[in-house]
Amino acid sequence: MSPFSALRVAGLLARRGVAVNISVRAAHGHEISKQEDMSLPMYWDRKDTPLPDIPFQKALTADQQSLKQKELGSWKNLSEEEKIALYRLAFNQTFAEMKKPTQEWKTVVGGVLIFIGLTGLVVWWQRVFVLPPQPHTLKEDWLAAQAKRMIDMRINPVEGFSSSWDYEKNQWKK
Amino acid sequence: MAHPSQLGFQDAASPVMEELLHFHDHTLMIVFLISTLVLYIIVAMVSTKLTNKYVLDSQEIEIVWTVLPAVILILIALPSLRILYLMDEINDPHLTIKAMGHQWYWSYEYTDYEDLGFDSYMIPTQDLAPGQFRLLEADHRMVVPMESPIRVLVSAEDVLHSWAVPALGIKMDAVPGRLNQTAFITSRPGVYYGQCSEICGANHSFMPIVVEAVPLEHFENWSSLMLEES
Repeated sequence: MSPFSALRVAGLLARRGVAVNISVRAAHGHEISKQEDMSLPMYWDRKDTPLPDIPFQKALTADQQSLKQKELGSWKNLSEEEKIALYRLAFNQTFAEMKKPTQEWKTVVGGVLIFIGLTGLVVWWQRVFVLPPQPHTLKEDWLAAQAKRMIDMRINPVEGFSSSWDYEKNQWKK
Repeated sequence: MAHPSQLGFQDAASPVMEELLHFHDHTLMIVFLISTLVLYIIVAMVSTKLTNKYVLDSQEIEIVWTVLPAVILILIALPSLRILYLMDEINDPHLTIKAMGHQWYWSYEYTDYEDLGFDSYMIPTQDLAPGQFRLLEADHRMVVPMESPIRVLVSAEDVLHSWAVPALGIKMDAVPGRLNQTAFITSRPGVYYGQCSEICGANHSFMPIVVEAVPLEHFENWSSLMLEES
């Protein structure tokens, strides 16, 4: 096939919302599910676009058609069940059903905590088996001598370290 | 130096660093305000019960959120430029010191009056006296007279280094073949630590800078001693 006719076929197929490789898959004996025609109005339940372009049930049985006829008259003549039936013809879910909370957050939080726990396990294992010993300057007696030296040297005396030391009473400020 | 787990700046030891601290406070406040506002808007958007959320255009808010950021940027730029020009003012240094970066130590030359030069190597961790600061102490400090304007000419003998002392608000790249000038005045006596700030090889983390600001007589005694030693 020439490149131009292949492009035309692809263009036509794309407008119908059908991927070109669908025909290839079918030719190889794979199942294909029904493709949505994206150029026609679609129905969907969304809180922020509350009135879809088309009703939910397009094909009506005889009973449903007679109900639709009754809807054309005064709504005072409709019973409660008929009103609900008409609603269900036009819409799939009610707002209450759309807004109903799922339990998905529990799965997410649980998964996150599990992975944090696994990471903690890895970190602990690294500390025991991989990392070298800490420098001796992090021992308590060294840190104490270091702090004394920092105070004697007036390190950060304005708002920092040494500003918390009371030089008159030789202790930390209360 | 910083105390362990310190998050903020060290206390300023020079007037320029004081200005930088105040500028940082000012700018950070603006950043916090904007972040809080954005976070609030995000939470409000996510938790609203309203279903009609998509307004397609609105001239008034578009004008507001274009003009307001421009105004905020000007409010940040003006103090910033003020400090930039402050740092560049003509000063009359009492002393000029050359700080030369090597792999992996600094050398200082005081050649205004006599020919004084010495190397400054980091004290290795195993050789520290109790209480000394790991990776920060040097065997010879750059001693300067306090409260005097000092000019530092920074350069390098091999690869790029950078001479940085955060408490003085100084960082100047040491480029081989180039003289970079910076100046400072210490507001108070003390010892100020810094570290090499440009990757320069295996021991880049192990060539610290130590500036010691002392009264003039002490500086004169020190320089006589150093001259005798060399």
